[in-house]
Amino acid sequence: MSLKRAIPAALLCALALGACARDSAGLGAAPTGGSLLAGSLASALPGRKAKAGAPQDVATIAVNALAANSGPVLLAQFDGVPTPMVMAERGRNGAMRTFISPDNRALILRDGMMAGTRGLGRDLMSSETAESAALIGARKAGTAKRVQYYLDGDGLERPLPMTCSIAPGAPLQQQGVTVTPVSETCAPAGAENSYMVGADGRILASRQWIGPRMGYLNITQLRD
Amino acid sequence: MTVRKYGGFGKAAMIAALGMTTALAGGAGAEPTTGFSFNSFGLPGLIDMPSAEVRPDGEFSSTVALRDGDMRGSFSFQILPSLTGTLRFSRSDELGGGDTLKDRSFDLHWQILSEEGWRPAVAVGLRDMVGSGTYSSEYLVATKSFGPRIKATAGLGWGRLGTEGGHGGGTRPAPSGDGDINSDMWFRGPVAPFAGLAYAASDRLTLKAELSSDAYLAEVANGFDRKTSLNIGADYKFNEMIGVGAYYLAGSEVGVQVNIALDPRNPPAPSGLERAPLPVRPRVAPGADVAGWSGAWSADPTARPAIQASVADALKADGQLLESMKLTATGVELRVRNETYDARPQAIGHVARILTRAMPPSVESFTITLVEKGMPTSSTTLQRSDIEAMENGPAHEILAKTTISEAALGTAGYDANPDLYPRYKFALSPYLDLGPHQAGEDMRADVGLQFKGRFELAPGLLLSGTVRQRAAGNIEDGTYTPSLTSPAVVRSDIGLYKQEGDLAVQNLMLSWYGRPGDNLYSRVSVGYLERMYGGVSGEVLWKPVDSRLALGAELNWVKKRDYDQHFGFQDYDTVSGHVSAYYDFGKGLTGQLDLGRYLAEDWGATVSVDRELANGWKVGAFATLTDMSQAEFGEGGFDKGIRLSIPLSWAQGKPTLATFDHTVRQSIGDGGARVNVEGRLYETIKDTHVGALYDDWGRVWR
Repeated sequence: MSLKRAIPAALLCALALGACARDSAGLGAAPTGGSLLAGSLASALPGRKAKAGAPQDVATIAVNALAANSGPVLLAQFDGVPTPMVMAERGRNGAMRTFISPDNRALILRDGMMAGTRGLGRDLMSSETAESAALIGARKAGTAKRVQYYLDGDGLERPLPMTCSIAPGAPLQQQGVTVTPVSETCAPAGAENSYMVGADGRILASRQWIGPRMGYLNITQLRD
Repeated sequence: MTVRKYGGFGKAAMIAALGMTTALAGGAGAEPTTGFSFNSFGLPGLIDMPSAEVRPDGEFSSTVALRDGDMRGSFSFQILPSLTGTLRFSRSDELGGGDTLKDRSFDLHWQILSEEGWRPAVAVGLRDMVGSGTYSSEYLVATKSFGPRIKATAGLGWGRLGTEGGHGGGTRPAPSGDGDINSDMWFRGPVAPFAGLAYAASDRLTLKAELSSDAYLAEVANGFDRKTSLNIGADYKFNEMIGVGAYYLAGSEVGVQVNIALDPRNPPAPSGLERAPLPVRPRVAPGADVAGWSGAWSADPTARPAIQASVADALKADGQLLESMKLTATGVELRVRNETYDARPQAIGHVARILTRAMPPSVESFTITLVEKGMPTSSTTLQRSDIEAMENGPAHEILAKTTISEAALGTAGYDANPDLYPRYKFALSPYLDLGPHQAGEDMRADVGLQFKGRFELAPGLLLSGTVRQRAAGNIEDGTYTPSLTSPAVVRSDIGLYKQEGDLAVQNLMLSWYGRPGDNLYSRVSVGYLERMYGGVSGEVLWKPVDSRLALGAELNWVKKRDYDQHFGFQDYDTVSGHVSAYYDFGKGLTGQLDLGRYLAEDWGATVSVDRELANGWKVGAFATLTDMSQAEFGEGGFDKGIRLSIPLSWAQGKPTLATFDHTVRQSIGDGGARVNVEGRLYETIKDTHVGALYDDWGRVWR
């Protein structure tokens, strides 16, 4: 193999890795074997982390989000991630509301309780939270059963049943609104959810556990 | 449309299994005992010695162990939770009598007992069980944990592993050397004890030591200095996927090792990094849309095309194509080509939600028919009220309300989506081609560019082709000798095709797929079918949508192509054909039996078994016995091998239908060879039928 032939060939391959494909029906190109290799090697490199954008002032993000959307909007922020995701309501089905970010990640809330996530990876597929929701909305102490469903490595749906103890705290005054902090501690997963519940029983802000290896999402309802 | 009752697959059992099996946390009883580290042969173990551990089920791993004058590269697959298979390539300057030995060997390792309470894990293994037998050895080994960090191993070895401190057993028979399984040698000759200790100093670092029972006899004769039986080593894992190791062998040699482990259940990218689906839009109250609820809208001739266009647009944005649609006041039936989601239920779930946003309120029944290569292959019927009530609920709940049935045939009542045909699609991408394995030769490979094009003229009628241009590699430097013993050279000269195919037409053919009747599928392909053959290939398959059993028949007339793979032919032409039976045993296990005539005009049968995990990883093994004699076939005696298919969605976390496939044969001979025509019927439709839909149903709301 001569070097003379190898160099243009390598250049061509590099070009091709950038997916040269066309489809008259307008669907996206399938990834190539090369991009598989590059993708898996890159993600396997030690110490490689997703690039975090420059942290932005949350208040600015909130103001911009409210200006850009006429309907309900929330901010969702993973623990330890500097910038929150802005999510706007795109679907409402009974008590279930679907909020979608501009980059097409979704959060599904049922009466303010986390009912599912989509497009985040290792998603919470569904959850049964009625018992918890009743106690939290009423700001009452008690024990509730909840089940969260995930897909395992085989793509099979697996339930994660939990027993949660719910404890309301003392009501607080925040910007002229009375809110009650409520904590929900679930075993055996060890999830510690917390909620800020308004006088009408609605959840205004919360920190909820999504699932194994995903951690907690902090949710603030900007416009309901 | 006919609605079928489930025959082959128990729906109730499936729903129960989906919903209420093992909880996510907490293991189930007797899990196989998985290991800390790989040995230098690429199997669970210490340095040279094996342990009784296994790797996680379904894991694919590769190791490279290097020391001065010796290299071993291995590929292993955890075939079943307790069974590991390894294919290894080695080069040694210390073996082979002055020349460099180039060897390929195959191992099997079976964990008979997993560790439980006081009982250690116990495994039995056959190392280098086929062929020249350079590393040929057998072992029985036990491994016991002491706390979470220490594992002790002790065992007995035969063959190479019985050469240091061996006792009794008489003389071990010599390997046959003709590529056969050396079963008359197994567990014969002197037996020697070995032992070792592994200590996980941290989650990443493992220290290990062993007392080896391998005397390195042949290496010592060539200058290897074996001062002691004690080998020591250390392994460091960067993450779950990549690790390195170093070891000090026999008190005189230093070696290094790289380990790569791909666990199908622990992908490098988490699954689900796709766009979130559009949510369901529930219907307004009947009073708010009287015309919509009454069905009066259907009298408006402009309504139907407008609705169809909006559905087609939404599907396209979702990575799917609407072929045709049949819309009435109360129900809609669509034919959809999913071009994105490897889990078909995910495609179905997306279509269903799009329909809740596009259909007038009176349309209650949604029938989504998946189309593969123009053939409607299965119909999934959902009620809109169920979709509204169960959105984002547990997947098994909506499955209980879902009907999966044979797709209706014909186009009566369907409005075809305009502008879909003719459709062209092409892509330029790099490729990797491995040279044919030849005993005693280096592995060879080429890389280059390939151009793949597809031109769809009408549903089921397509022209497709692949052209490859080599850019770099050393396949052209090899010497390839076709079989001198076989009655017809039909596959053993594959090396000449790989060598001489510069700007090669890999395939170029016109294919026509159809549905000649209920449960029947058909294919006719004409042209340059594969790199070695051109001609005509026809196939018929019987496969009810919910049946575990499928039956097929194939008939081919082919002529052998020129080595340069342009458009010319050689003199050899033949008729080959098979009748086939396929059976889905469940849990991803599929068996296939083919009976018929092969390319060298030999008659016989192929048995294959494939295991597919629900995330799409597939590994299979096949063997073909024909009336061609072992002497005529040459090395290996008959055609057999293993194949692996990895879905690219596993590595990327994003849905795609693309896969990486590779087949390894023990040796390439002319017996039991079949035409490699792309797009055979069973593999084309299988993923859209009930068994596969149930396996992936957990993704319906994703």
